[in-house]
Amino acid sequence: MNNGFWSMGGYARYVWPCFAGALVVLAWNVWSARRYHSRALMRAARAAIMAGDRS
Amino acid sequence: MWNWFYKLASPPYVYRLAAVLAPWLLGGAALCIGYGLVDGLVFAPPDYQQGDAFRIIYVHAPSAWLSLSAYTLMAVAGGIGLIWRIKIGHAVAAAAAPIGASFTVLALLTGSLWGRPMWGTYWAWDPRLTSELILLFLYVGVMSLRSAFEDPGRGDRAAALLAIVGVINVPIIHYSVQWWNSLHQGATVAKFARPSMPGSMLWPLLSMLLGFMLFFGGVLCLRLRGEVLNRERQSSWVREVVRAS
Repeated sequence: MNNGFWSMGGYARYVWPCFAGALVVLAWNVWSARRYHSRALMRAARAAIMAGDRS
Repeated sequence: MWNWFYKLASPPYVYRLAAVLAPWLLGGAALCIGYGLVDGLVFAPPDYQQGDAFRIIYVHAPSAWLSLSAYTLMAVAGGIGLIWRIKIGHAVAAAAAPIGASFTVLALLTGSLWGRPMWGTYWAWDPRLTSELILLFLYVGVMSLRSAFEDPGRGDRAAALLAIVGVINVPIIHYSVQWWNSLHQGATVAKFARPSMPGSMLWPLLSMLLGFMLFFGGVLCLRLRGEVLNRERQSSWVREVVRAS
């Protein structure tokens, strides 16, 4: 890639943070949704164990 | 004929359907966003007025669209939960809120970074910017209200009510550039008018828009699975899921 591409016609300090921010938001959404699901699964497992103890 | 539709009210069916749909939606999103990024950053020509700064549109417009679409979906799903007492409606609304809020933050940040070189300021109390900021407050309000009640049912109903009332802000954001004097430019891609940009700039934008929508669908499916598990953890089918995992 040449310098012109990275400098974005002098707007690099505005353009690249936008794309970096977008990648962060996309990655955060996938990460947090997966974590939310795995935590819910753990909570459900704990509830199942408790229900087993009671019965 | 309507059997598939009624099945959407069943938590175990939705849980399994979301697991099937998520990888396809996220895969499609990766393809569309990948194409949009390469075409938008490398091959699209610079704008004759804004130069290369216009490329911010490839993340700003899709995130702004998504912020509105996610809010509308949240209000509709909350309404379904409120009116027909379908539990999945509230689960969809709860799952959509953090995703929509994150894209509203992105739309505000990218808009601010685009505004600095074009308008000479990061922020102005302009109708479009202000109404988008109100949208962020609405998202935060809906999420806070849902978790503020000890009884999850009451939290769901209160959050759904706020989401429905707040949906009035969606057309206000959309038409703000027409109704009031605004620094913000008008619609680039309108439903009934010719797009105001050439194909070489438009195709990557459409690809990014589609990619962000597919991404939203995929992440919504992932988050919805967690939401359904949380709400149904006393059910026997969840115990089966736990045993199988």
